[in-house]
Amino acid sequence: MTARRRALARVGGGVLAALMVVALLAGLLAPHDPSVTAGPSFSSPSLAHPLGTNDVGQDILSELLYGARNSLAIGGLAAAMAVAIATIVGLAAGLGRPLAEAGLMRTADLVLAVPVVPLMVVLGAFFGGGAVTQILVIGGLLWAPAARETRAQALSLRERGPARAAVAMGAGRLHVARWHLLPALVPLAASQFVRAAALAILLEASLSFLGLGDPIAKSWGTMLHFAQVQGAVLTDAWLWWVVPPGLAIATTVLSLALLATALDGRRTAPALGTLATGRPA
Amino acid sequence: MTRLLSRKLTQYGLVLALVLVVSFALPRLAPGDPVTYLLGPEEAAALSPADRDRVAGQFGLDAPLPAQFVDYVGGVLSGDLGTSVRYGAPVAEVLLDRLPWTLLLVGGAGLLAAALALWAAVAGARRPGARDTDILGGVLLLSAIPPFFLGMLLLAVVSAELGLLPAYGASSAEGGLLGLDVLERLLLPLVTLTVTTTAVIYLIARTSLLTELSQGYVRFARAKGVGERAILRSHVLRNALLPIVTVFMVSFGDVLGGAVVIETVFAYPGLGSAIYEGVLARDFPLLQGALLLVAVAVIAANALADALYATIDPRVRRTGEVPA
Repeated sequence: MTARRRALARVGGGVLAALMVVALLAGLLAPHDPSVTAGPSFSSPSLAHPLGTNDVGQDILSELLYGARNSLAIGGLAAAMAVAIATIVGLAAGLGRPLAEAGLMRTADLVLAVPVVPLMVVLGAFFGGGAVTQILVIGGLLWAPAARETRAQALSLRERGPARAAVAMGAGRLHVARWHLLPALVPLAASQFVRAAALAILLEASLSFLGLGDPIAKSWGTMLHFAQVQGAVLTDAWLWWVVPPGLAIATTVLSLALLATALDGRRTAPALGTLATGRPA
Repeated sequence: MTRLLSRKLTQYGLVLALVLVVSFALPRLAPGDPVTYLLGPEEAAALSPADRDRVAGQFGLDAPLPAQFVDYVGGVLSGDLGTSVRYGAPVAEVLLDRLPWTLLLVGGAGLLAAALALWAAVAGARRPGARDTDILGGVLLLSAIPPFFLGMLLLAVVSAELGLLPAYGASSAEGGLLGLDVLERLLLPLVTLTVTTTAVIYLIARTSLLTELSQGYVRFARAKGVGERAILRSHVLRNALLPIVTVFMVSFGDVLGGAVVIETVFAYPGLGSAIYEGVLARDFPLLQGALLLVAVAVIAANALADALYATIDPRVRRTGEVPA
């Protein structure tokens, strides 16, 4: 790890840690309950409401702080689900019989070829918006690129000394997977998780912006949805209603991307190709 | 060549089949009654149970599932995508009205982004080290900004604060001089989508260029005394093009996805805002149709990429395999 990578990791990790503290302590930090009317609608920033209020008089600063909780939770859980599926599928494909391997990898190809955002929007519309749908839909679509990486890694690990020695001594596939491959896959899974989380937070923001978020437990994307519906960009309100949640999303995604670049030592411009497209570079 | 072709065709066929199945299954799997999804929630709620059964019969919902599926696929193949709840018109008609605007936006942004990305990647490759890192960092920053947020910022600053460009729609009602009205309404969504797309293509182009630059033939050309400019232009760029074309065509689906949210910000009357209106109005036939159309467009882009390989890279023509 070069000094530059270390610096990147420190900045990304530091910002992320700060965001998580905010998310955890939202209840203490927020001046108001974000779900109740705390003042007149559409007020400009004041001492009582540092970022003004929205169309129903809810305090925007409080929404922003609680929004950290919702955005990070949805992004994190969706990414965890994607990486868990990817690890299981990748291991199974790397160790399984040829037919199973072909089946699993063709399925991954299939998921990769599907236009993610339109499909997500349509699924969200049919099954109703909200955090649970979002996590399932995002996690259910993001695993495919990671599964291909995991399989490639599993194939190479399978041929190394310890795994081959275990097989020679009569170990079964499950034993090899559990004791020789899984521990060695942890670093890859960690970098996959960070990349998937960045992408999941962006996708969640897009879905919520289109009105498929939870209207009560608002994420940053949902805040922007209401700002858009109320025409905030056409008034001065964009300064305190649009800019803060937008910057919050960008900061979170950027710090995750920096962390991913640092974690992902193997390649030249890694995380980002995958981050932007959801596909392996 | 034929083996590759048949494998590719099978894959495209499978994707199409998958999307058809999803689109068929959604109204039947999703919570609630399929009639709600066909007529829209308001109209369906107004029906008496007897009327509901009659409507279900009309749509063939009382037939066995396989028969329903055959019926559905037959309808789709003959261009019948159902009736939009919101517009009261055939879905196919509504979508075809919207399609040209999205193609204009996506096509324009795609070409601009490819040019920009290639230019930035070459600029970086020419001076590895400081400048390359700066460009990379800048692109990283841009790719972290949600596309709709960038659109909202542009809208707020350029249209609302400075009053330079119109904020909504794609053309003015009275029509402008020489399509100027179309152009000035296209500008902001186009800039937004271009910025988002550039990041994707640049990252691949950069990796591809750097890989080629480290090859033996580059060192040989340098040893011969070929200038750096000529090496980049006539040796490296040609070889680096294949992955760039791939990502350009394959990311078509992602660009379309970006267009969905960006069109919503600018109320640009393309497929994306049709999907958004479909979500708001719970216009399920419209959503199903839009999903099918987008899937077909993405498959077409992928097929085009496969055809382009053969033109760009003689190895593909000869062996039928895409070299890694």
